[in-house]
Amino acid sequence: MAAKRVLVPLSDTVTVRQTVGYAVRAALEETDTVEFHLVAALPYDAAVPEGRSLTEDAEQLLTRTENWVEEDVDDTDATVEIETAVVGTNEYLFGPRDFAEVFEAYATSHDIDRIVLDPEYQPGQTAQLIQPLEREFDALGLPYEEAPVDRPARHERLIGGGTERFDQLFATFWISYGFYLILGDPTYPFDLVTGAAVAGIVSISLAYVTFTFPLGRLRSPLRTVRFALYIPYLLYEIVKANLAISVVILRPSMPIEPVLTRVNARVRGGLPLLALANSITLTPGTLTVRADDQRLIVHTLIPGARDDLFDGALERAVRFVFHGRSGARIPTPRERDDTEIIGGDDV
Amino acid sequence: MSPALSPAALPTPENLALTELFVPAAALFVVLAIMLFYRAVAGPTTQDRLLAVNVLGTNTVVILALLSVGLDEPWFLDVALVYALLNFLMAIAISKFTVERGGVL
Amino acid sequence: MIDQLQFWAVLLCLAFGLFFTFVSTVGVLRLPDVYSRAHTASQTDTLGAGLSLAAVALALGWESTTIYTVLLLFFVFLTNPTAAHAIARSAAESGITPLTAEDELESETPDDGTSAPGDTAVNAGEEGGDHA
Repeated sequence: MAAKRVLVPLSDTVTVRQTVGYAVRAALEETDTVEFHLVAALPYDAAVPEGRSLTEDAEQLLTRTENWVEEDVDDTDATVEIETAVVGTNEYLFGPRDFAEVFEAYATSHDIDRIVLDPEYQPGQTAQLIQPLEREFDALGLPYEEAPVDRPARHERLIGGGTERFDQLFATFWISYGFYLILGDPTYPFDLVTGAAVAGIVSISLAYVTFTFPLGRLRSPLRTVRFALYIPYLLYEIVKANLAISVVILRPSMPIEPVLTRVNARVRGGLPLLALANSITLTPGTLTVRADDQRLIVHTLIPGARDDLFDGALERAVRFVFHGRSGARIPTPRERDDTEIIGGDDV
Repeated sequence: MSPALSPAALPTPENLALTELFVPAAALFVVLAIMLFYRAVAGPTTQDRLLAVNVLGTNTVVILALLSVGLDEPWFLDVALVYALLNFLMAIAISKFTVERGGVL
Repeated sequence: MIDQLQFWAVLLCLAFGLFFTFVSTVGVLRLPDVYSRAHTASQTDTLGAGLSLAAVALALGWESTTIYTVLLLFFVFLTNPTAAHAIARSAAESGITPLTAEDELESETPDDGTSAPGDTAVNAGEEGGDHA
């Protein structure tokens, strides 16, 4: 009988042990020769600083799971081969589609018969991926199954624990109270009281809408400070670009050269992406037409603006705001070959 | 900033001229806004008109702010603030309605 | 002395604010398609509004209403690029293809009667295309 090849995507979750156990049991019930492919997909590529520590974590996880499989197989007389791999190291995986495509590529190149998914599968620190990932697998026509596991009672993930909840309430309350008092009069007792009431209602009803991510007690204030540093830099870029564009528009010949480009930005998540896309649009000469995940489609008007975009100064600055100074040290989009000039029909 | 600008300040020639700068400036902004009307009327696409109206809205905010100093009506700034937010909402809402699935953001 | 300084600062801010808004208006009227117009629209949002509101803040001096102008500028900076992005995206979704440098080359050569301006644009296009 031909050997069966089973692919198990791994991430460090509470149910990963059970998933591996199930994959082994289910496969050995059918045949005696099984090839296990234990694969960890990395959301970041090795070029960015946060990718390196993740690579180490993934390798540790793979060694651990390899041992588990050997343990489980030990008391049977089956022939089992184990292969481990870390995929996605030279790409920047963003949404479920990217992960599904990486796994599909792996599955076709290794002739995989079956994929066993961990129901808690969660690569990186982002939200759970399992449902959208399954939808993508369906769309690609990959055969998969979800391992039946007993999972420990899970607390509401979005809202988080007590302190997280408190932090979100606290931040929303003071932001809205401060805004109210700026518009009103901070020395007038009536405004102080009504402001507190309004801010209370706003923070209770909207804190979880405002902050969909956990706030770090050190990180979030630090980001605010770095954002304040970012604003003068952005203004400098805006003035520079404004002058360049003004010269072009006021020339009677108007030497514009509109070109549509695609840039894969190394910026992750809603807020950083918003900051980057808005900064790009605010700078005259570059306009974000689309922002699908981290793939930005940018319309550029003059060659100078395009060069600036490909040099990625704004991208590095946004990374500095959200990841600190070490996070800003990445190669430019041009060096990483993440830029592309596309035709007008590809919008 | 100089304390000379509190309302009680003496009406020095410069101070008088200062607020008088703002009304003519606002008038020039109105001229630019009228020029923008051409694009808002001519189109040719809905998005062109929307863009022109959006720029016009930003112009209006600036005009309101200038007039608040020029005519000494501080509450014009409140109007400008509300107008800026409405301008944004209008642009988002209309561009959402021009797209079939409503997925512009 | 300080009044004098303030006067000139306000005048300069107003003049440059007007200048950039003027450039932006010219751009919105002159540029060929909705995407390129959106670029120049952001000039009004950034330097046009920014410098004019700076003039307002300078004229008001240190008063509570000055915070309003800062707030106003903050809103304009936050909302207008988002609106511009929404407009550009809606243009893309409704199938308006942007004019690119190559298209221009094709469309400018047939009606050659328009003469020199078109040629300059094409030349600049080719130069830029090489090193981009």
